[in-house]
Amino acid sequence: MNRPRTLAAIVLTWLPAAVTAATWASWSDRLPGRMATHWSGTGPADGFSSSSGFGAAMLITGVVAGVAGIVAAGRAGQRFWLGLAGAVAGSTAGIWVCTATATLDNPADPRLGWRLLYFVAGLAWGAVVALAAGPSPAGVQPPPETVAPLDLAPTERAAWSTTLRAPALLASMAVAAIVVVVVAAVGQAPIWPVVVVPLAAALVFGRVRVTADRRGLRLTAGLLNLPFKTIPLAEITGVEATEIEPLEWGGWGYRVTPGRAALVLRRGPGLVVHQSNGRRFAVTLDDPRTPGALLSALLARSA
Amino acid sequence: MLFRVDVAAAEPLADQIAAQVRGGILRGDLAPGERLPAARELADVLDVNLHTVLRAYAKLRDEELIELRRGRGAVIRADADAARLRLVELARQFVGEARRQGLADAEMLAIVREAQP
Repeated sequence: MNRPRTLAAIVLTWLPAAVTAATWASWSDRLPGRMATHWSGTGPADGFSSSSGFGAAMLITGVVAGVAGIVAAGRAGQRFWLGLAGAVAGSTAGIWVCTATATLDNPADPRLGWRLLYFVAGLAWGAVVALAAGPSPAGVQPPPETVAPLDLAPTERAAWSTTLRAPALLASMAVAAIVVVVVAAVGQAPIWPVVVVPLAAALVFGRVRVTADRRGLRLTAGLLNLPFKTIPLAEITGVEATEIEPLEWGGWGYRVTPGRAALVLRRGPGLVVHQSNGRRFAVTLDDPRTPGALLSALLARSA
Repeated sequence: MLFRVDVAAAEPLADQIAAQVRGGILRGDLAPGERLPAARELADVLDVNLHTVLRAYAKLRDEELIELRRGRGAVIRADADAARLRLVELARQFVGEARRQGLADAEMLAIVREAQP
């Protein structure tokens, strides 16, 4: 890891929160109790919040983004998340500065106008952080475990399948659905359709069938019998059995990040498939070596 | 669960598939309640006849290892007993070897009785 550049990136990720804290401290005695916090277009403000509450929310978001930046900076292959943390930190400070200066400039009728540029600049701060961090440190990840191909005789045919169950995911989706139903029932009727999201996620990911065979790798929603991820054998360039660190793949669940996708149900062993288009796909499995060895053998046979 | 069959082997393909499932239960790869691949899908990926897979599944149902239900597919029975299955496997090997040596049933039973301590 390039330590000076990584440290610089961390400092830059925290800078927006520092700006928010410093400006809030120096403006607090001049800000009214309630300040304009929402505009529609270029007209007058149409939303107001408590100044201290809004300032605290922006500061806390900046600090959380800063912490996320530290976590991302310490790991290999996390430049995207470091940049995202920088963009979140920068844009929240931008929101704070543009709303607060609009109120300070004309407390009677605050207008946003050109101050929106503070917010745009804050978003762009993510790119500054990513550039400062430089390329993702290479060689930090342990070398992938190469899977020896299965000793498949020319007259042999083989297929592998398993079923993944995700009780934790099912439980959290059930909780999410209940929350949506309760919120909708107590008066927020427009959010009723949102209940579809956790129900669909539970249907698709509650039970997943993973198959590796002459068709390639395939993930099927077990409850619907619907293939939702298929990688044809012809598009597989290599397979590895490795340890899946959820944060490196974007978290738990079905994750899509630049250049790769993954179904991560837990931390631990998993299968990583390299695709001919340069993308990688990972899925957590108790025994990734067997499907890995089979796919290697089938690849060698088709080559 | 890995299925592998050898089209050049003397053993019929249906028997090979059934043996794979038995092995899976013995090793604990296939737990009670686990679903086997749909017969049509397994036939497709192994490039064997659908009736070959159906014959294998029917055999396993007759051995009381799996349940076959319309629409639900083939599921490992809750009472599929890995310990008893191990004995059945050993007995199968014993009978196979005894047949090869040309032993009659009575002679086989005599050997089993003699094996008791």
